[in-house]
Amino acid sequence: MLNIKDLKASIEDKQIIKGLDLSINKGEVHALMGPNGSGKSTLSYVLSGKEGYEIDSGSVDFKGKNLLELDVDERSNEGLFLAFQYPMEIPGVQTSFFLKTAINAKRKYQGLEEIDALEFAKLVKSKAEELSISPDMLKRDLNVNYSGGEKKKQEILQMSLLNPEMAILDETDSGLDIDALRIVSEGVNKLRNENNSFLVITHYQRLLNYIKPDFVHIIADGKIVKSGNFSLALELEEKGYEEISKTA
Amino acid sequence: MNNLSSHGNKILNDFNPFKNFKLENYKYAQLHKDHTSENFSDSSYDYNELLKISHNLQKTDFEETDLSFKVDKWNFNSVDSYFRVSSLSSRSSLTLNLDNFSQEVLLVDVNHFNENISFTKNSSKNQTLILITSNISNPEPRSIFFDLAENSNLEILQLALSNNRSFIYFEIDQSDFSKMNFITFQSNNNHIRNEYYASLGEKCELNLLGLNFKNNFINDNFSYIQHLKPSTASNEIFKSIVDNGAITNFQGKIYVDPIAQKTDGYQMSRSLLLDSKSKANNKPELEIYADDVKCSHGSTVAKLSQNQIYYFKTRGIDEQTAKNILQKAFLVEIIESLQNKEIKDFSMKLLDNLI
Repeated sequence: MLNIKDLKASIEDKQIIKGLDLSINKGEVHALMGPNGSGKSTLSYVLSGKEGYEIDSGSVDFKGKNLLELDVDERSNEGLFLAFQYPMEIPGVQTSFFLKTAINAKRKYQGLEEIDALEFAKLVKSKAEELSISPDMLKRDLNVNYSGGEKKKQEILQMSLLNPEMAILDETDSGLDIDALRIVSEGVNKLRNENNSFLVITHYQRLLNYIKPDFVHIIADGKIVKSGNFSLALELEEKGYEEISKTA
Repeated sequence: MNNLSSHGNKILNDFNPFKNFKLENYKYAQLHKDHTSENFSDSSYDYNELLKISHNLQKTDFEETDLSFKVDKWNFNSVDSYFRVSSLSSRSSLTLNLDNFSQEVLLVDVNHFNENISFTKNSSKNQTLILITSNISNPEPRSIFFDLAENSNLEILQLALSNNRSFIYFEIDQSDFSKMNFITFQSNNNHIRNEYYASLGEKCELNLLGLNFKNNFINDNFSYIQHLKPSTASNEIFKSIVDNGAITNFQGKIYVDPIAQKTDGYQMSRSLLLDSKSKANNKPELEIYADDVKCSHGSTVAKLSQNQIYYFKTRGIDEQTAKNILQKAFLVEIIESLQNKEIKDFSMKLLDNLI
């Protein structure tokens, strides 16, 4: 699904990703853990194609295509999704209008007709209910005056509507209370199947109790320094990043 | 005109912004420049659609009137407007009482008139007046007066589209307890200036909002709002999207009389520049002589947010669509302020077509 080889990437001439290798197969859930400033969010921006990030070397293959050659919207339409740590507020744009526009963009890319208004309403209603998102929220401006938890739920709602093959969740657990964490995790787990993959970026093992990863990677200074299974996350929680990075 | 008073003559001679480009109130309007383009016209609105939802007032509905006395009846605490004096002295005038019409939406196509126009309203019946000031090719200033009686209420939508040169003076005189909702929609004009002089009686409310979308050379709005009695509220919001090296100006003054306690004045001008050649000049002014008032003003100049565009793109939405949606989102507040639903829907469609 996603194959990252010796990736080096910089922002404003400062290299943040310094030779990162990561391979994610269909149906797998990978967790990426690391201390502040290790390059976790940068990796998610680089993979999504955000402007301002320079690729110095390396390659990223997504479903057999050179991901780095695609524009941001093409990457999304090809099936890559990034759930943001800090979702953008968009005043003046109603949430449901935004969702419909995103769904139709993908359908257009796939050569399908625009979604029928009734079908859209039903679809959004059912997905929103699953995430305990009130219908009232869909009428409000996108992410404007949303609480931290509502913003993260909104990201997961968008993900479930776009049904990506590869989803990157960037610190989705940050700013969530226990109930919201459970709801968001259940939303992710519902989407999990043998045809899609997840890269879950987090500081804490707590999220991984809800979203069980197949693999856990530790990133430090722009490189993956240790990989393992779920037990690595437990070990990390116990010993801390510094200790683990030393033994790597 | 020969029978002008010395006051009128002084304004015409010493305060002519078409000759004198140093006048403070006309500083950025650059009226001394003749920026006329040949064959300039490209109206993008559906006139027939408008006629379906409104009653089109004809010239025969109006009465002739003599407003030249107004030249010496200047009620504002500032220098007289050249637009006002020159139009009062060079054009004849018509008047119309809006209460004579039962229709909720009335339309006046100002292009069919050479006169200044004065509207009066006495009732509190909801009424929206659409003023079409589009495709004006005769750039001589003209005046439009609104006289709102006590407790009355009126909504105005000015459609100023595709003017080569258009210079209009609006005077709004609100008696106690009256309400005015004035929305101006300006797009694809070459050189346009609107002046708004308003004076508010007790417990009056004035909303003055402007939407300026992709005008060409200069788009200029100048307001002077006078709070003359206690407990009045004025709310001004002007939003502009500028590209292709065009200039948008907003200059607005709020004057609060010593007896106008509990005044609530708000003024906001926001501009979005789509390229580095374009410009926005914003000049808010407050002149307050009462001590128990709430007056605030703000002004922003920005470009489209790259982070917002990026967010759209991560959801598969292409860049151009994202930009269009964000532009509409920026302006939509102005249209949302229209009270009449049909007019609001029409304006929304108009904006969609323009973007």
